[in-house]
Amino acid sequence: MLDRESTFADKQIIGMLTDQFIPVAIDQWYTRRQQDTEGDFYRQIAGQGPRSDFSNTTQGLYIADSAGHLIAYNNNRGPERIRALMEKAVAEFDPPDATPLTRGKSDPKYSTPIPKGAVVVRTSAKVMGGYEKPVDHWQQIFQHAVSRDNLWITADEQRELLDDKMPEALARRIARFHLVDNTRGQPPTWQLEEIRKLDFSISDGKMNGTIELETADHTRGFMADISGVVSGAEGRVTDFTMLAEGTFWGTGTYTMEPPQGKFPLVIAFQLADGKDIADAIAPHASRGWVDGYLYPER
Amino acid sequence: MTRRTGFLFVGLLLFVFASATYAIAQDFEAELKKQCDEICQPTDQPWRKIPWQTDLLAAQKLAVEQARPIFIWAMDGHPLGCT
Repeated sequence: MLDRESTFADKQIIGMLTDQFIPVAIDQWYTRRQQDTEGDFYRQIAGQGPRSDFSNTTQGLYIADSAGHLIAYNNNRGPERIRALMEKAVAEFDPPDATPLTRGKSDPKYSTPIPKGAVVVRTSAKVMGGYEKPVDHWQQIFQHAVSRDNLWITADEQRELLDDKMPEALARRIARFHLVDNTRGQPPTWQLEEIRKLDFSISDGKMNGTIELETADHTRGFMADISGVVSGAEGRVTDFTMLAEGTFWGTGTYTMEPPQGKFPLVIAFQLADGKDIADAIAPHASRGWVDGYLYPER
Repeated sequence: MTRRTGFLFVGLLLFVFASATYAIAQDFEAELKKQCDEICQPTDQPWRKIPWQTDLLAAQKLAVEQARPIFIWAMDGHPLGCT
């Protein structure tokens, strides 16, 4: 998120990435584990950098050639530093004598294609108030951040929705994995037993509901009202618009520095049109266990 | 009031009621979509103009073909989504 608003908002960096590099964005949680050609290639590159222990995170910005030689690595923020790194890499770049790698069989454990017939709904969360005055530019970015994730709705669930029925698995999936404060980093999701109330109904394509989520120790919670519309034809959803508005409190390991106490959080859901490259990204909560995401009662 | 005017009156009432219900539903939907649009990330953010690949092998192939270095944005959680 910080990178999106700083490094990758820099005009010169955007120009260089477009004209002089092949930019690729990956979730290294998957790639460093993948036992396939893509995983091998990533480990070859990352293994030459400072984060070569693949049982831990290897996140950062890497510049490499097509033969897998690491040219530069950095995990700092700030456009000036990254721009200088890129300029140096371009100046010293000597194209290797390499050929395209053969893909082979993808590691099924870390392959997360969208289920057949499913639709993607973009989810965006925003904290609507409660922050103290930011102390610096970085904190300001966090405080104004809008998160992005994808919700998958399966083919069977779409048919039920269009029959004015809220599928239980979908309601739980939304509650557990998408009613989260992911505006400052990867959020903790909700355990099944942390769903205190899940009252979701549809009538004439209008969705309404009340959802109460809270940890056993009461340190994190979200009380939200749901309103939305859903429509479609021939069993396929063509419109899904929903808002979850409520009061959130608490934080997680990677979502530090929330507003003090309880604060307003809004999460918007909109059917994706497939025009955004991020529409193809698997839901964050599906990583490592797609079935657990699709069937959250398990 | 004749029977005919009675029917007409009831019909008119039903029409007005149906129109009002439809208008309220349309207003609700329009307001909901407006609120969602205001929350969602704008699609014209600068970082979205970058021609990101999401597959490292596809990027490697392009790097060979275009004789360019690969720039890898590797995060915990997908950089284009997740957070």
